[in-house]
Amino acid sequence: MMIIHRGILVGVLCLFLAGLPGSLLAQTPPEESTHEIVALLKEQNSKLSNDLRRIQREIAALRADLDKPGIKDVFAGIGYIFGLFGAAAFVAARRKE
Amino acid sequence: MHISDGVLPISVTVGSYVASAAIAAWSVRRTRSEELPKLAVMTAAFFVASMVHVPLGPTSVHLIIPGLTGALLGPSAFLSIGLGLLLQSLLFQFGGLTALGANALMMGLPALACGWFFQKYKGRTQLQQVVVGGLAGALGTVLAANILAILLMSGGEDFFGVAKIALLAHVPVVIIESVVSAFTIGFLARVKPALLQSSFLRPTKAAHG
Repeated sequence: MMIIHRGILVGVLCLFLAGLPGSLLAQTPPEESTHEIVALLKEQNSKLSNDLRRIQREIAALRADLDKPGIKDVFAGIGYIFGLFGAAAFVAARRKE
Repeated sequence: MHISDGVLPISVTVGSYVASAAIAAWSVRRTRSEELPKLAVMTAAFFVASMVHVPLGPTSVHLIIPGLTGALLGPSAFLSIGLGLLLQSLLFQFGGLTALGANALMMGLPALACGWFFQKYKGRTQLQQVVVGGLAGALGTVLAANILAILLMSGGEDFFGVAKIALLAHVPVVIIESVVSAFTIGFLARVKPALLQSSFLRPTKAAHG
């Protein structure tokens, strides 16, 4: 009895499994909507890669800007120059005395 | 137009360091202590001039003003330009520390040449001083481009190729520098002609280091 029961169960399971792909196929959307989705994805993809490229370009420009010396460096240099020449003038003046 | 690290062969790098140290020492000997404030101001001007960018197509080139520095400072110009370049390489990352000697030669020698040229031909009238000053300003950058080509030739570059590119890229700079130099010298000739007397052509009595 048990063996027959198990056999029936296995049979039902097999039938179910065999029927499954059919039911899945039945659920897939029709051909044209697939194309639509693919087109949509492609569009989004290209838009995203455009955005990404723009951002990368901006990062490169920012990096170039960061490499440029700023107003701080300019004034630091002027300070160094005047300081050094001031020290030189001091030494020269003392030597003259 | 600064030379970067690692472009020149080591022998040229060392040689140009030695040569520019020697010229800088001579420049210090020829500097009089009364001239130190003028030297400081011109050094600061030279240092900052490289911040003035001239847009040129996709890139930009900046002013150098070795001609004006030389015309105003005479023999002290080399010292001034050496110090300016040292600070530019430390603060702006223009050129490298190892290429400092070559850069000093490249801009210092034209400055000395322009100083001599200006002192020799400036004459007495204001108009002549302005014209000769403008010529000296143009000459400085042209000479610097040629020395750049000579130095790069030691690294295996073709002299005429580099010279042509460097000169073409600096045509706007040459024009602007010539105008700036002529204007500055004209202004100084009117306001304080004593500043235009650098000690190239007269013997120095009290040399100070």
